[in-house]
Amino acid sequence: MNEASTPDQEEQTIIAPEITTDGQSASNVADILIVGAGASGAAVAWRLAQAGFSVVCLEQGRWINPAFYPTTEQNWEILGRHEWNWDPNKRGNPEDYPVNDSESDITPLMFAAVGGSTIHWTAHTPRFHPSDFRVKTLDGVADDWPLTYDDLDPYYDMNDMMMGCSGINGDPAVPPRSPRPMPPIPLGKDGEHMAAAFDRLGWHWWPSDNYVNSVPYKGRDACNYCGPVGFGCTRKAKSSTDVNYWPEAIRLGAVIKTHARVSEITIGADGRATGANYLDRAGNVHHQAARSVVMAGNGIGTPRLLLMSKSDAHPDGLLNSSGLVGKNLMFHPYAMTTGLIPDLSETWKGPMGNILMSQEFYETDPHRDFVRGYAYQLNRGSGPLFTALGGAHQPVEWGAGHHEDFAERFGHNITLAGIGEDLPEEHNTVTLDEQLTDSSGLPAPKINYTLSENSRSMMDHSIKSATTVLQEAGATRIMANPLLRGGGWHLMGTARMGDDPERSVVDKWCQAHDADNVFIVDGSVFVTAGAVNPTPTLQAIALRAADYIAHERDDLKG
Amino acid sequence: MPTTDRQLTDVDRVVLTRVMDLIIPPAGDLPGAGGLGLAERLERASVRYGRLRSGLLTVLDAMSLDIASRIEGGFAALDEERQIAAITTVESDLPIQFSEFVELVYETYYTDSRVYERIGWAGRPPQPEGFDLEPWDPAILEKVRKREPFWREVSQVGYALR
Repeated sequence: MNEASTPDQEEQTIIAPEITTDGQSASNVADILIVGAGASGAAVAWRLAQAGFSVVCLEQGRWINPAFYPTTEQNWEILGRHEWNWDPNKRGNPEDYPVNDSESDITPLMFAAVGGSTIHWTAHTPRFHPSDFRVKTLDGVADDWPLTYDDLDPYYDMNDMMMGCSGINGDPAVPPRSPRPMPPIPLGKDGEHMAAAFDRLGWHWWPSDNYVNSVPYKGRDACNYCGPVGFGCTRKAKSSTDVNYWPEAIRLGAVIKTHARVSEITIGADGRATGANYLDRAGNVHHQAARSVVMAGNGIGTPRLLLMSKSDAHPDGLLNSSGLVGKNLMFHPYAMTTGLIPDLSETWKGPMGNILMSQEFYETDPHRDFVRGYAYQLNRGSGPLFTALGGAHQPVEWGAGHHEDFAERFGHNITLAGIGEDLPEEHNTVTLDEQLTDSSGLPAPKINYTLSENSRSMMDHSIKSATTVLQEAGATRIMANPLLRGGGWHLMGTARMGDDPERSVVDKWCQAHDADNVFIVDGSVFVTAGAVNPTPTLQAIALRAADYIAHERDDLKG
Repeated sequence: MPTTDRQLTDVDRVVLTRVMDLIIPPAGDLPGAGGLGLAERLERASVRYGRLRSGLLTVLDAMSLDIASRIEGGFAALDEERQIAAITTVESDLPIQFSEFVELVYETYYTDSRVYERIGWAGRPPQPEGFDLEPWDPAILEKVRKREPFWREVSQVGYALR
């Protein structure tokens, strides 16, 4: 039977005979049922457990003991290519669901575990700009959000404290904000070299905000700059919700059921949610009753589950009266420009991502041939295998020129990743695949996504500007990838928020227009994408939604 | 497309070793990828990571079907120039499978301790040792701090530009 689990218990877990919980007693009815234990689900669990709600979370993945992350293994690069690949189609763990991305320009990336994709993220954590919430008003494109930067500001702060943010204030590209809890991660020689190039051009740069500890923080170690931060952190120096929000939430009484794959949100005669059906590892079906359901399964998993949850009251899928569930899928397109700089060496030393960022081209400039803008993230090189395989670029050539090509790259490569603001388009969708299924036989999601002309122009501009910086920094060779196909880290827009029920799925509190006891708190609710990593924003939105429930929805408390 | 459960023959292994040497040739005193005796490791890796095995088998099959190979009595009988030409043809005709094969060769070669030593890589896992970075120096921000704020200010009414 799936029962509450904790990190310590997980290693000793033995699958006992499964018991289907038909018929719920009052005590089995959770106030809040959260689907997904990743970035946003964890934040909601903590905040609502703190407010006295009974919270149960269903997570299809498991607890992962940080001691078992691949960076302690000699063959860590091979493990990173396979068992720990960011792409679920390549990883293929039983708890993953496959994604049909054959008709998408970008491959979606995700991770199924307690902590979700924060296990494998690089923890780069800039905030949205105020303008990101007003793109229709300012630039005449897409839609405005039904909330503002100021609405989220206190929740950004709350999240920064919980997750642990390293950084420094004074950045002229963003509004003033509360002091960062920790000083910045050192730039390293390579970062300082690139910062000097930006300075000579008079272009903006700033040390990145990171949810990576620059000093010990709340019982977690400081980073020791090992490099491949994207494969889990054995020191817990990189923040992930399994090491911060969840332990606190569990201490407050929240319960996680792992290996619990939700197959359907169940609906009562009144059209409101009654809980969820889920499958355990043995395939037995269970029901978790709840007064309220909070969806936190990411911008693909959430619309998938809503589309799977058809009923008489919701014939086109749950919460889909607007027809917008699964539409307006946004990624952040990445154009990768890598310079080979002989003056740099050992560029693998230090966190792979997040050295510094530039927001020189973030805001709309009418002199450019695109609206909105992009940011740069400066990324380091990596180990020998990842270098040989090319990273974002073509692999090192085979044959007579192999060793020369490898030597030119290894330890000398540094990348400016241009991350652009994607705009919502209804033809970019998540639907249910008619053939492909997960290991439980449930329909897999299918992605249809085409990069827009606006995003294409933006990415082309980012390559030109990155080339200028890299040349200024002394690059003798520059490689450009105009669109990183395997760069779909950020999944957004597929159940957008808004004031108009005909044009949105949830309101500004993340409460569904179609069922007042269902909330969505992941990237699905994003109206637009900004040009920065979305996790602090989606966690701030989740915390704000939790406060709304805590203050305005006493009816959901048993 | 070959079945992925086909076992390699002795001839396959000879061809594989030679092809690996041409993919990653010798460097200084270090033999090429084939000469290092890595073919067996590569074969094992292809079993473990099934999605790459098809690339291995397809490339080996294609080598044996190469016209020059068939005339001369096999890939191994070709001179180096024609061996490289045969590989180039496979790369052109079967780009996906060839890239999977190259991935396997690189995975095998660039995780070998002798190669680590040659390229100056520590050859240890990233953890628990990590690396050192020079301490953070706030003086580096001196120039950029002087810049006027340039984010677009959005008021609740009117959304004025800064």
